[in-house]
Amino acid sequence: MKEEEKEKELAALLAVRRPEDFWLRQKNAIISAASEKRAPARAWLLMPVAAAAALMLVFLARTPVRVPGPETLISTAFLDHLDLLDDMDVLEAVPENEL
Amino acid sequence: MIVTENKDIAPELPEERVEGRFAGLIEEHQQRVYSMALRLTGNAAAADDITQETFIAAWKHIKGFRGDSSLKTWLLRIAANKVRSYWRWKKLRSWVGLARGEREEDAPALEDLLPDRPQDRPEAAALAADLERRVQAAINLLPPRQREVAVLRAQELSIAEIGAALGMAEGTVKAHWFAAKKKLTGSLGEYL
Repeated sequence: MKEEEKEKELAALLAVRRPEDFWLRQKNAIISAASEKRAPARAWLLMPVAAAAALMLVFLARTPVRVPGPETLISTAFLDHLDLLDDMDVLEAVPENEL
Repeated sequence: MIVTENKDIAPELPEERVEGRFAGLIEEHQQRVYSMALRLTGNAAAADDITQETFIAAWKHIKGFRGDSSLKTWLLRIAANKVRSYWRWKKLRSWVGLARGEREEDAPALEDLLPDRPQDRPEAAALAADLERRVQAAINLLPPRQREVAVLRAQELSIAEIGAALGMAEGTVKAHWFAAKKKLTGSLGEYL
């Protein structure tokens, strides 16, 4: 048997045979999968907008922790000091013999 | 519909015509792509997935196809790369212990090769299924590169086309084909 014929027989043996409806079903499945893949691809374009919106929501939802600034701290100490001074004023206002 | 030139199928067309041309591309090449994927994986579901992914990827990048090779060779190259990724994924799964002792050399289950139920088929078809299993087992015995070359040669691709599809020098293709042919003739001699 010639080498060429032998190769042809081997190729025929290795061939995959499927009925016509198998190929038709496969073709339809590929076309429908391709159109499904196109839809999320378009939705993907909205991803940056969605990410920005999510970040904004997280930022807004964060409960603000009120850390008193240095000015507030000084003011409180200052007021306490004033109260003390007030007491002292009272003491000073009381005549010495009434004490 | 026969599609042979990439300039004819570039998807700059109304939706229905694009779909028609995509269908034409599939019709012309699906048997070749599926056969290659099935013979190289030995798994019908994987071959189906690879065929689908190959056409979707090809369609997506059809504008980038420069026409250096034929569309057939280009598609088979995409498919061959996807088959290689499949085996890398299988090996990784087996390495991390997710697969149940799967090995490249393992003979596939009959239902993987033939998606229909063997008990529903007449005797002649059952014999064909047996032949199919033996052919697949003989292919699985080949080392990966010989297997790729043999499967493409069975698709009636020339040595040059196989070289282009697999990224191999023609001399390498010839050497792989020679070795593969010898082994396949030995395994399947009774059918030749």
